[in-house]
Amino acid sequence: MILPRFDVLVPNSVDEAFAMLSRYAEKGIRILAGGTDLLVDLRRPIIPAAIPSCEGCARHKSGSIRSTVDCGWWESDSSRESDRALLTKVQDSIHKYPEYIISLHKLKELRGIAVNEKVNLRVGAMTTITDIERSGIIREKWTALAEGADSLGSPLVRNRGTIGGNIANARPAADTFIPSVALGGVLDIHSEKGSRKVPVDSFASAPGETVMEKGEMITGIEYPAPPEFSGSAYYKLANRKALEICNVGVAVWIALEKPGGPVTDIRVALGAVGPTPILAESVKEVLVGKKPEDANIKKAAKAAREDATPIDDHRGSAWYRSMMVELVTDRMIRLAVERVGGKV
Amino acid sequence: MVREDLGLTGSKKGCGIGDCGACTMLVNGVATFSCMMLAIQADGCVVETVESLAENGKLNKLQQSFVDLGAIQCGYCTPGMLMTATELLRRNPHPSEKEIRLALSGNLCRCTGYQKIVDAIKAVAGE
Amino acid sequence: MSKNNSYKILNTRLPRVDAIDKVTGKAIYTDDMSFPGMLYGAILHSPLAHARILNIDTSRAERLPGVKAVVTYKEAGTQPYGVSPARYDETIFCHDKVRYIGDEIAAVAAVDKDTALEAVSFIKVDFEELPVLLDGRHAMDEGQPQLHDMYKNNICARVNWNFGDIEKGRKESHIIRTDHITSKMQDAAFMEPQSVVAEVDSHGNLTMWSSTQAPHYIQRTLAMALNMPLHKVRVIKPAVGGGFGPKASCSTVELATCLLALKTGKPVKTTLDREQVFLHSRARHQFFHTMTTGVKKDGTLSFLEHHCILDGGAYASFGIATVYYAGSLLGGPYRLKNMKYDGYRVVTNKPACGAQRGHGAVIARAAFEVQLDRIAEELGMDPIELRLKNVMEAGETTCNELFVSSFGMKEALEAVRDSAAWKKKRSLAGKTRGTGKGIGAACGFFVSGAGYPIYRSKTYHCTVVTKVDEVGGGVTVSSGAADIGQGSDTVLAMITAEELGLPLDDVRVVSGDSNLSVDLGAYSSRTTLMTGHACKDAARDIKRQILEVIGGKLNIPPEKLDLKDGRVVGIDKDIDFSALREEYLQEHKGFMDLPEGPQLTFREASRIAFLEIGSVVGTGSYRPPKLGGSFKGATVGTSPAFGCSAQVAEVSVDLETGEVTVDNITGAHDCGFAINRTQVEGQMQGSMMMGMGEALMEQIIYNDKGRIMNANLAEYKIPTSLDVPHLDAIIVESNEPHGPYGAKEVGEGAIMPVIPSILNAIYDATGVRIDELPVTPERIIEALKKKRENK
Repeated sequence: MILPRFDVLVPNSVDEAFAMLSRYAEKGIRILAGGTDLLVDLRRPIIPAAIPSCEGCARHKSGSIRSTVDCGWWESDSSRESDRALLTKVQDSIHKYPEYIISLHKLKELRGIAVNEKVNLRVGAMTTITDIERSGIIREKWTALAEGADSLGSPLVRNRGTIGGNIANARPAADTFIPSVALGGVLDIHSEKGSRKVPVDSFASAPGETVMEKGEMITGIEYPAPPEFSGSAYYKLANRKALEICNVGVAVWIALEKPGGPVTDIRVALGAVGPTPILAESVKEVLVGKKPEDANIKKAAKAAREDATPIDDHRGSAWYRSMMVELVTDRMIRLAVERVGGKV
Repeated sequence: MVREDLGLTGSKKGCGIGDCGACTMLVNGVATFSCMMLAIQADGCVVETVESLAENGKLNKLQQSFVDLGAIQCGYCTPGMLMTATELLRRNPHPSEKEIRLALSGNLCRCTGYQKIVDAIKAVAGE
Repeated sequence: MSKNNSYKILNTRLPRVDAIDKVTGKAIYTDDMSFPGMLYGAILHSPLAHARILNIDTSRAERLPGVKAVVTYKEAGTQPYGVSPARYDETIFCHDKVRYIGDEIAAVAAVDKDTALEAVSFIKVDFEELPVLLDGRHAMDEGQPQLHDMYKNNICARVNWNFGDIEKGRKESHIIRTDHITSKMQDAAFMEPQSVVAEVDSHGNLTMWSSTQAPHYIQRTLAMALNMPLHKVRVIKPAVGGGFGPKASCSTVELATCLLALKTGKPVKTTLDREQVFLHSRARHQFFHTMTTGVKKDGTLSFLEHHCILDGGAYASFGIATVYYAGSLLGGPYRLKNMKYDGYRVVTNKPACGAQRGHGAVIARAAFEVQLDRIAEELGMDPIELRLKNVMEAGETTCNELFVSSFGMKEALEAVRDSAAWKKKRSLAGKTRGTGKGIGAACGFFVSGAGYPIYRSKTYHCTVVTKVDEVGGGVTVSSGAADIGQGSDTVLAMITAEELGLPLDDVRVVSGDSNLSVDLGAYSSRTTLMTGHACKDAARDIKRQILEVIGGKLNIPPEKLDLKDGRVVGIDKDIDFSALREEYLQEHKGFMDLPEGPQLTFREASRIAFLEIGSVVGTGSYRPPKLGGSFKGATVGTSPAFGCSAQVAEVSVDLETGEVTVDNITGAHDCGFAINRTQVEGQMQGSMMMGMGEALMEQIIYNDKGRIMNANLAEYKIPTSLDVPHLDAIIVESNEPHGPYGAKEVGEGAIMPVIPSILNAIYDATGVRIDELPVTPERIIEALKKKRENK
């Protein structure tokens, strides 16, 4: 793989990492966790998709984004409108092709699965998907997350990929992001200046875009302890049985008063049917306080479909995805209810 | 780096972006595609490639099983398959067919239909 | 089935000769090679699907430090080349127009890959954009953009055949149906991306190492396009990581790398990125089939009227053969007296398509076998019964004059029917159609080596030169044949070992080098039959020479001697070899591992033969006899022999999501005689996997600009180990009279029944037919939805 030139920074502690992130924020820095997404993203394009043509440059006539960046003309003052437009493009490209990559592989404190005294689950950002997949406690209590891990990429991707990276990339089809929304995960986001907590469901604003600011980094994600009589499930609909990008993904977390009893709370997360994973709020309105019975579940699944905003793309059609959101939501609610010990 | 600087060309490049598994190595015992890893990330790690499997010129059991049962055609996926299978068998010496297929699901093969590869691993696992 | 004959080596399960190198990482593929001072090449691809080139400015790329050469059409010239001489429509680099996104415009050699790629990005090309043609179905329509001056209305090749009497067939028919099937372009997805190393020596000899299937054709194309004498061009094929067709034609990366080596005087390596493999393509065409078939009341086929448009992308490549194969190979395996075929191969602004496993015939076969199932349903007949009623037998000739000298079609069909418990499962499913579980069957038919070379010539299709070690002992088989993973080196070694009575380890095979012999290469499933013949003859030639010397010395007629188990033996009686042994021992004073025992070892015999007559070299050459009819295009589809196959697939379909799980595949293939049983099964199982992918998930997806949206192995989906079920491969042996030891093909024929058996099983499971490949979950749900709405 041919990557553009960049320097790799390897912090030995999280504080050092925060300092580096802040120091190089303006020059362009990206975080390398497992690398399964970032290193793909950084490759030199075989066919440059859209090269901003460097019309105003005295040093060269045209070139790749990288060479435009290297050329440095954009640092000079220019009053021309077209130059300013190009400057914006170049600045975007600095974010994509940064000068620095910060690799977190030495930060052991960011890797690990722990359950605290309140029985909340904390998963470090650098925890691999394989770690999650093999965690007995996650499979038992936060089942949807384990199922998300199962279905992500392939064993080789899961061995390298991390939950922090999977979520930070903010793809609508991310297999641990979707169940994390349903399970009410909350991200720990740190920077040199301090820390804040962001619920996963309000983390992403568009594909690849998040509330994270320059210099910030995800250090972990915390999931609330599941109350008694609650359960979860995740299913990803795809065309083959491994190495797949989710076509429609649905994660359901449900809490009942007792097995078979009325729904006290439900969170349904929909993947690949909107610009980000979506929390289907209207399901809650339909189902809370009702019994998890056939007719109610059907109504809830319909509500989920209404919340979805799928598009046509090369992976699938909007109509199919829309139909599947309803179907898979229906199935996952039933499965989650069964896991609580009820029968629909 | 492993291929060009160390001259260990056994690990193959099939896609460069972590889709095919031809470049699989073990890094601290974990099956890892090397195309998705910067050399600096492996700093201080034990890296095993297909070249490390045979000892003193003698094939190990898994390699011999691949040879005997015809798990090889073009051979391009073979080094990666062997490394993934090595990790599986260390972790789980007696995997079921389903566990074998699951473990191999990130290593693409276009020649064999996987059947003889699964058979070869099963033959070692059954011992 | 197990081995049941007197062979020691043939028909066994001996490991491949390259197996140990491949499990230790020692096997050298092209990209594993490097030379001192080697440069790296990179290619500039067109970002536009159709545009006129106004200007190419390479000056900035040339100025970049580390760049050693930049070449465009100005350096490369514009000598047209291609696969079929009648359709030379490519030049090394684009000069007037670009015709697809990825079309090659220039190449750079630099001290490292990164510099080469950077330099490529500095080449500035001014284009005038032209309207883009992407829909093959409408390529021939009035007013469409025109790609090539030489292809009026974008028709690159057309075939209009009429065998027998269609009208008579129509009148005899009880049922006539017309059905359509379309497919998408597909990729071979071999694991090894193309790689090339080229070097020029001080005498101007060009050597190119390339991951190719056909060194001989590539040698010719390089010499022609680079304007060099043929004998100055040598093509060597190192280990190749799969080919499946696309690596059979010469590529720009090969030509450009040679050009860069010629220009710089240094070795140059260019290895394609996976995305470039997709852009270069030369893989499966897109097919639009319409078939009308008639049958009599008893199920006898009465006619087939077949219309097909093939979308072949921007250039011809193998496409002429493809359009012929798409029609000709429906001549079998069923008795079909009347067949009409109109095929049109059109060009569009997409990567060029070429040959891929089952060349031209795969989708046609799928369409026809699906139609047979629909006819069986209308007739109320079991689909396997309908097929059994119509299958040909050995000794018959098809309506398009293809003679089948051996034919285990019936045996194969019965084998899969019985092995998969068809009668039990099918009758059950017949009653419960649409319940999500289904079973389906289909047959296939394929050539065992193309009857004629691609260029018009009387050339031998292959020669083999086998030489005995002059020190005595082993033999070396030299052949231009290309082992691309299918195992042809092992086949040649086994044949030689069998003939000479040697252990496999004493036979070395050197192959894949255009300097060694003429061999047309690994395509059209030709090597076992054709090169196998030449190899057998070469070994027998040696055997004759050795036994003549030994017989002459002992005054025994050579026909009374034989080579067995590494020794010379008397056929009727024991022979006293002591005088000859003495001669050998005298030469080897001080050696410890000396022969003993009453019989003469091959080591002694071969040394003594050398002492007597000098080099002992055996040669073998093969070319097929004149084959086929005299109509236009009659040569395509001819073969010395035909393979046939049958398959039963079992599937589960989730009727709400459309997800398909293939539960079981049982296939039987008539390979005539299995030289290596493990390898025959391997070819069958590989075919099943590839066909399964093409049936269910594989498709190249373009956006409206003609850009491939899934040029990677994440989104171009081939089956993983979790998708593929247990694959049951049954070998049928019919003893082909024209094949060595009775052997014929398996490599491509085995894919023929895969797609239709899965399609037929999906119909059984769902009750709906999907006429567009691949059958994705979405297409199944769409069809089920339509069915519900129509009710």
